[in-house]
Amino acid sequence: MPPDDTARSLVALWHLEAARVIGRVARIVRDVGLAEDIAQDVLVTALERWPVDGLPANPAAWLMTAASHRALDHLRHTAMAAGKEGAIGHALDFAHQAAADDAAERIDAALDDPVGDDVLRLIFTACHPVLPPEARCALTLKVMGGLSTTEIARAYLKPEATIAQRIVRAKRSLAAARVPCEVPRGAELVARLDSVLEVIYLIFNEGYAATAGEDWMRPALAEEAQRLGRVLAGLLPAQGEVLGLLALMEIQASRFAARLAPDGSPVLLMEQDRSRWDRLLIRRGLDALNRAEALPGPLGPYTVQAAIAACHARAARAADTDWTHIAALYDVLARIAPSPVVRLNQAVAVGMAFGPEAGLEIVEHLHSEGSLDGYPLLPAVRGDLLSRLGHHAEARAEFLRAAGLTRNARERALLQARAEACGPLPREAR
Amino acid sequence: MAYLLLINETRGERAARPEDEAHRLYDDMMAFAASLQADGILRAAESLRTDEHAVRISARSGKPQLVDGPFAEAREMVGGFFLIDVATREEALAIARRCPAVAWATVEVRECAPCHVL
Repeated sequence: MPPDDTARSLVALWHLEAARVIGRVARIVRDVGLAEDIAQDVLVTALERWPVDGLPANPAAWLMTAASHRALDHLRHTAMAAGKEGAIGHALDFAHQAAADDAAERIDAALDDPVGDDVLRLIFTACHPVLPPEARCALTLKVMGGLSTTEIARAYLKPEATIAQRIVRAKRSLAAARVPCEVPRGAELVARLDSVLEVIYLIFNEGYAATAGEDWMRPALAEEAQRLGRVLAGLLPAQGEVLGLLALMEIQASRFAARLAPDGSPVLLMEQDRSRWDRLLIRRGLDALNRAEALPGPLGPYTVQAAIAACHARAARAADTDWTHIAALYDVLARIAPSPVVRLNQAVAVGMAFGPEAGLEIVEHLHSEGSLDGYPLLPAVRGDLLSRLGHHAEARAEFLRAAGLTRNARERALLQARAEACGPLPREAR
Repeated sequence: MAYLLLINETRGERAARPEDEAHRLYDDMMAFAASLQADGILRAAESLRTDEHAVRISARSGKPQLVDGPFAEAREMVGGFFLIDVATREEALAIARRCPAVAWATVEVRECAPCHVL
């Protein structure tokens, strides 16, 4: 195999194996930042040796073995540097002791750890709440996805130095806060899981919000988030919100191909060509949702959002949409995860299910609260409901107000067109 | 990006295989599928019955023609598939290389794309 191909194969392999290798090393050295450094050293060694020696028979096993050896080496050096009598024999004893400890730890872990998995420890540590969200995302992509700093920087459209800094600081913060590399238990598991899910969804949205034709890395971020979601769902199959988030991402991703017109302008959900939705992803999303709903306990916000997305996915035509069900789900969502934006969406669904007057009632409430002042979708929704009630002049004013608030040129054009479509004041029939 | 790994087997090999070996090969493939699933990259995987039970349908001549298998003119048949989601072609190749079927069949790696894309 030519050297370039070997290097490319290695990068590909690293994307698939990084989490397992770093997770294993982190278990030995008990420090995710250090584990990632050690894994990088192994990667560099492989990049030097493989093009010369050829691909090993089992490349993944090679990486794992090399990384484990290096981790034990590290422990040995630390012990020597700490001046523990310095004798080589002693150091070797220490390495053996470390290996024995590790074996004992593994057995203990298998016996009483609720999940006991290197990869799971890794993601819980990388997503630790002591880190700011953007640091969690970068570190997660690095250790779970094996992405290089360059790739992460491209994905976030940030200078490489910024991302490198972010990752270095994250590693330091974890070490300084003495965050143990472990999977939390019981009530803490649920609390910490929120942070993990938030990171995965942030990564997904970073990719989802990007338009096609931009750097390929951005849609790839959404795929990476889906992959992490599937891995997590495999490791924590009894956590409803893990399945709920997975379902939400799969169903949203099923619309990737349909959500942009050939000229790059966004196509609204109701106007999308549904034949372009990815059926397989929908099926996977619905499957994850079914499993989430079958678990005992109340539904969490991700699951309810997935259930709403599923209502759209199940409708063969926009006209078939079960708005009554969607309105009910928004009602649940507004109670478990209240926010003005959720209530605005609820107003849309209620307006579709029970008529514009019912929707308008919620919008008026939001309007008088003032919490969505300056948010263009509030007047846009209001305009839509008013125009359906035949109040064209008022609707026109709302659309124009919305057009004045949005910063997106395409959205502004759309809103102005809607204002014009309201026409002059309707002439009274004689 | 989605890739399809097609397992191309030599026709007639299945019938010549001892039963316990056939089960072992199948179990290896199931374990492989499970590992892809655990990595979050498997979309779908199936093992297919031999083409003796297949039917080919074509209406190219104007009206539908049905041809029952086996299709003796073909030396190979598709014995199964894995549909995977990976970031790059290299990853798809790395996975194909790991597929147990490379020991007894040919694994063809195909990128999923609309048929009007050349």
